[in-house]
Amino acid sequence: MNPFHTPSLTSLIILMTPMVLVMTKTHTKDYYPYYMKTSISYAFTISLIPTLLFINSGQEAIISNWHWVTIQTLKLTMSFKLDYFSVVFIPVALFITWSIMEFSMWYMSNDPYINQFFKYLMLFLITMMILVTANNLFQLFIGWEGVGIMSFLLIGWWHGRTDANTAALQAILYNRIGDIGFILTMAWFLMHSNTWDLQQIFMLNQTPDTLPLIGLLLAATGKSAQFGLHPWLPSAMEGPTPVSALLHSSTMVVAGVFLLIRFYPLTENNKTIQTLTLCLGAMTSLFTAICALTQNDIKKIVAFSTSSQLGLMMVTMGINQPHLAFLHICTHAFFKAMLFMCSGSIIHNLNNEQDIRKMGGLLKTMPLTSSSLIIGSLALSGIPFLTGFYSKDLIIETANTSNTNAWALLITLIATSLTAIYSSRIIFFVLLGQPRFLITPTINENNNLLINPIKRLAAGSIFAGFLLYNNIPPMTTPQMTMPLYLKILALTMTALGFSLAMELNTITYNLKLNKPSPLLKFSTQLGFFPMTMHRLMPHYKLTLSQNMASLLLDLTWLEKAMPKALSHLQIASSTTTSNQKGLIKLYFLSLLTSLLLTTLLTI
Amino acid sequence: MGAHLVRRYLGDSSVEPDPLRMPTFPPDYGFPGRKEREMVATQQEMNDAQLTLQQRDYCAHYLIRLLKCKRDSFPNFLACKHEQHDWDYCEHLDYVKRMKEYERERRLLQRKKRREQKEAEMARGQGPGEVAPEVAL
Repeated sequence: MNPFHTPSLTSLIILMTPMVLVMTKTHTKDYYPYYMKTSISYAFTISLIPTLLFINSGQEAIISNWHWVTIQTLKLTMSFKLDYFSVVFIPVALFITWSIMEFSMWYMSNDPYINQFFKYLMLFLITMMILVTANNLFQLFIGWEGVGIMSFLLIGWWHGRTDANTAALQAILYNRIGDIGFILTMAWFLMHSNTWDLQQIFMLNQTPDTLPLIGLLLAATGKSAQFGLHPWLPSAMEGPTPVSALLHSSTMVVAGVFLLIRFYPLTENNKTIQTLTLCLGAMTSLFTAICALTQNDIKKIVAFSTSSQLGLMMVTMGINQPHLAFLHICTHAFFKAMLFMCSGSIIHNLNNEQDIRKMGGLLKTMPLTSSSLIIGSLALSGIPFLTGFYSKDLIIETANTSNTNAWALLITLIATSLTAIYSSRIIFFVLLGQPRFLITPTINENNNLLINPIKRLAAGSIFAGFLLYNNIPPMTTPQMTMPLYLKILALTMTALGFSLAMELNTITYNLKLNKPSPLLKFSTQLGFFPMTMHRLMPHYKLTLSQNMASLLLDLTWLEKAMPKALSHLQIASSTTTSNQKGLIKLYFLSLLTSLLLTTLLTI
Repeated sequence: MGAHLVRRYLGDSSVEPDPLRMPTFPPDYGFPGRKEREMVATQQEMNDAQLTLQQRDYCAHYLIRLLKCKRDSFPNFLACKHEQHDWDYCEHLDYVKRMKEYERERRLLQRKKRREQKEAEMARGQGPGEVAPEVAL
């Protein structure tokens, strides 16, 4: 055991400890949230050791400690893959979770079940770590399902609210559809490579078939809310803000992209899957950015922003740059979590007001929150030398200079400028202008539990990109040479977006709103996707099934086909073919009369 | 350099080279005595440095020097500016060479197309005008 393996396993065990301590009475005490937060900060510090070792010497490790079962030729073990991706992601995820747990000590302080909330968050973190460090598909699947279940429990935290239950169920259903793809991939690899271990899969499949990769793409579509399986992400904003900050911006939704990144030795040899990923990611990026333009709930805008950035990560996978996509995952986590935490601070201070049309003028009343919101939005837009620049600008530059689909590139650039537009919309409505809310005199940021996490993540949003970019060993050759117009294209689109948005926003002070145009209706109704898929399709299917059950089965097959048909046929044929009128009395009487007459006449 | 963005779609795409099927013409066509480029880093050196496949190009020796400098100067991550610049400059020169190959391919395709058009005109009987011998038709 060298200094690489021990700290990694130690930090994972530190995370498990509060869960195991449920045996004692620790989880009922008041200091339990503080204890959880401290244990995560210790786990973060310890997990920095393997990361620094990796940066220094490039050491990676695979820890296989427990052989579970061998079924004929399939060997299943508990094995951890501590390579480039896991070793860099774990400290980032732990740092963000530490900040979010400290924030939730303030946000959920009035919640009677706060200990259970922290337990759920910790369980989520453990399953996310299992997902990230998994060396075989089975362990990855355990983590995959685990984060899905915890997402369900946390979105439906306020389970007395119907919308929250609906949203939680929606998340589960959409993720399930993605899981079909995952299981397809697992089955294919089991049949063709006889294994679920990543090393053996990579060795045996140098030029893979498209089918398992399509399974992976479907899994990523479900988990990372790509177009087609995306509505669960904005609905997931029904959960508390710490949940949105942790799960649905930094860690869980990147699990899909992380899966694709894990399988990059396979995807880099298959052009079809790269094109599919590229086009899907570009479409998602643009579509969700369009939807974000007209939302009025601050959390939904940030949720769509997350979806748009996830589309950008898929675009990066599509141009065969897994390491850039991973860098974007890490940098995006910082400023997105901070944006959500700032939204949470605003929401709580305005007495649970989430509509941006009812906010305003918070620039002076909440200085730290507003500065962090602005820093986060600037980092998101890719302003030079903040965090987002080091990943987002590189992605756009690489896409500009690769031999790739020009349509996808154009769409991504438009989505970049839309990012700037909706970010400035948030800033304009929330921070600037005059207050549009009822004056609540208790707007303050006096709590250290609120201030410190936001400050930490603000520092991260400014410096993390620089630190990550300079310390990570180069795995690919960055494309540095390109003409000036391509180099500054991303920045130009962002600047264009900002100026257009401020122009449109200031126009709203003077002119009145016209009738909604079709494009506005498209954007406000989220592209009519929820309406079509959640209402029209189920209604059609339910009507169809009702007709099939009652008309087809009951009426037709069980009645009209045999029994009634036979009886009707009999009656019809007997009435048609007989020439008798059935007047028995008349016939009998006539018989009797004629007999009587004959008898009387012959006597 | 805007071939893949604009010229291929809006301009004439038959004279734009396809990067996936380069080179179409022999490398020493028009350059008699052109030698093949040589790698400076050996296979053994690249194996020892555990370079990925994509990094094993003609600038790998600069990259190996950079990796060594980074390992030696840890934790000062701002230290290896000189080696970083060397590698980046080598990659830049490599990019320029690739662009020059692309442009050569493009001009050869254009010349091929011009010659085919001229032959088609001759076959139809519309001869060319008199031009100076240095015009490469």
